[in-house]
Amino acid sequence: MRILLVEDEKNLAMEIKSFMEVEGDICDLSGSLREASENLAVNPYDFVLLDLGLPDGDGLDLLEEISDYQERTSVIILTARSEVDDRVKGLQLGADDYLAKPFSLVELKARMQAILRRKSGWNRDLISIGDFEMDLNNKSISYQKEEIALTKKEFTLLHFMVINKNRVLNRFQLAEHLWGDHLEDDYQSNYIDVHIKNIRKKLGQYAPTDWLETVRGLGYKIKA
Amino acid sequence: MRLSTKFLLFNFLAKGIILLVFLAASPFVLRYFAIKSTDRQLVEKKNEVLAIVAAEGMESFISQENPELGFGSYNILKEEYILLEQVPQLYDTDLIFVEERILDNESVTYRVYSYAFEMDGAYFLLEIGRSLQTIKEIEALIFKILISTVILFFFLSFFLDNTFNKSILRPFSQIIDKKLSHIKEPQQFSYKAIETNTDEFVLLDESLSEMMRRIQRAFNQERIFISHASHELKTPISVLQTKVETLFAQEGLSGEQMDKLMDMQQTIQKMKKTVNALLLISKVNNAQFIKTEEVPVHEVLEELIEDWEAMATEKNIQLYFEEADAFVIKESNRSLCLMMLRNALVNAIKYTPESGKIYITGKKQENQYRVSIKDSGPGISTKLLEQVERGTVFLKDVEKDKSGFGLQILYKVALYLGVKVEIKSGNSGTEVIFDFTN
Repeated sequence: MRILLVEDEKNLAMEIKSFMEVEGDICDLSGSLREASENLAVNPYDFVLLDLGLPDGDGLDLLEEISDYQERTSVIILTARSEVDDRVKGLQLGADDYLAKPFSLVELKARMQAILRRKSGWNRDLISIGDFEMDLNNKSISYQKEEIALTKKEFTLLHFMVINKNRVLNRFQLAEHLWGDHLEDDYQSNYIDVHIKNIRKKLGQYAPTDWLETVRGLGYKIKA
Repeated sequence: MRLSTKFLLFNFLAKGIILLVFLAASPFVLRYFAIKSTDRQLVEKKNEVLAIVAAEGMESFISQENPELGFGSYNILKEEYILLEQVPQLYDTDLIFVEERILDNESVTYRVYSYAFEMDGAYFLLEIGRSLQTIKEIEALIFKILISTVILFFFLSFFLDNTFNKSILRPFSQIIDKKLSHIKEPQQFSYKAIETNTDEFVLLDESLSEMMRRIQRAFNQERIFISHASHELKTPISVLQTKVETLFAQEGLSGEQMDKLMDMQQTIQKMKKTVNALLLISKVNNAQFIKTEEVPVHEVLEELIEDWEAMATEKNIQLYFEEADAFVIKESNRSLCLMMLRNALVNAIKYTPESGKIYITGKKQENQYRVSIKDSGPGISTKLLEQVERGTVFLKDVEKDKSGFGLQILYKVALYLGVKVEIKSGNSGTEVIFDFTN
């Protein structure tokens, strides 16, 4: 994928850029509205990751330009601003999603995948995982056509790990994906262990779940 | 009680009391004036009779041959009589009194004027009487007319006063309805002037508008501050988080390096949660969340139970949840509602010991919907609850050496959403009660 990252905070921009490149994407960087506008005029992009607070203006102004010249481009707004109006305005102006800073890079990746799947069918609706099959449309998992009852949270957790397969996800990243930023303390990350335990228990009745690895002291990983 | 109702009651009571006093006093007053009037008429009639006697001579009434026969006259209904007779000596009589007289074998009570006088060397006694029955009939007639008039006046004046009060208070009611009672956030305030020519109401309207402008300015300044503070605080945390995550994803790190990265990650998470909690409280205080959603509270409860049941089971806690009554709260915010109830449930699971119990109910009551989350944990200390009620942001539970925002967020969100919260806590556990009203 070709991604345009519009972010004036250089440190943050470099980290996101290197993360995207490790993921196999091409990532162009713009630190201002003017630079972003120039890049958009020259290159076609699959994704624009757009910060709102830019030194020469409001990132929202760029949304119109994107929808005029690159209507197939997906946009995720990344912002540290807290106003609800920004979110509403951004989505009204054609942004596909909104991710509040500080965010996890794996969360950003998951959101991008969800948008791609929704917009282009680029992703499959059925994903094989071990001997199991995940149906993303029905949000269900089955073994040889037999549906296995997972709770919504368990399915969401498993799906998030599948999107980030072969990557160690720590409890904080998983907890943030499930509950956002407003759970009070790190106690909740312990609940991740409970969910993983239940997923293993429910799926383990049908087939081995050794693809779901525990990385001691860190978190969990799904082996491809 | 509404001001217009008070005016109405006062109007009714004041007029009612006046009417009652009037009704109670009027028979006596009427009798007094009826008697006075009758006495005056009797005196006038005496003067007329004496004038006639003087003009026509006593012989026309009392014959000289038989003076003892005297003169008597009464009308056919015996309502009045005049008696003139010669008496042997001059009584010192000029009296008005009530006395029974027998006329044609019929006893009739009269108001009598008795007057003695001398004429041509002889003495005479003149009596003029008027039947008391006649006086009473006139009295009753006047009483009826008077009462009808007063009652008519009572209702008419009550209606007019009430209409006038309503009309004069209409701008005041509009100020209350449009500018005070339905305004929960400064943004909802309308600056359109209320139409009135009453100076006091114009002043009140203008003062309210001015006050609201100041509050709105302060709100906007706070909103801008929050937005900037949010940006300034979150951007460096974002940088830290992405750096740690990038390092974390690298292969070939030693166990010790991984542990250190996890420690950093944990610290970053704490910073994030603190900043987010503070910003959330500020945004709730600043009314920055929309409240336009219809939220099915029973569905939110069911979603919460599904999400958190596994955690309770893990601690061997029995979660009792009866199917909640259906209830939809209007003009609310689903995310905030979920957060508020979740904080209560998560606290209950967190602090209930292993093999404890948690009861969750959602019951429709008369005009409200009550959600109760009751646990068998150690209870919340009085000091902590006092801090919550005082609105202390950084709560500190000295007994458990813990601090956090969960309870404060629960309280602030409830206040913002118009949900009444009550926390009952003791040694046998804690019950958090939420009362929702539309």
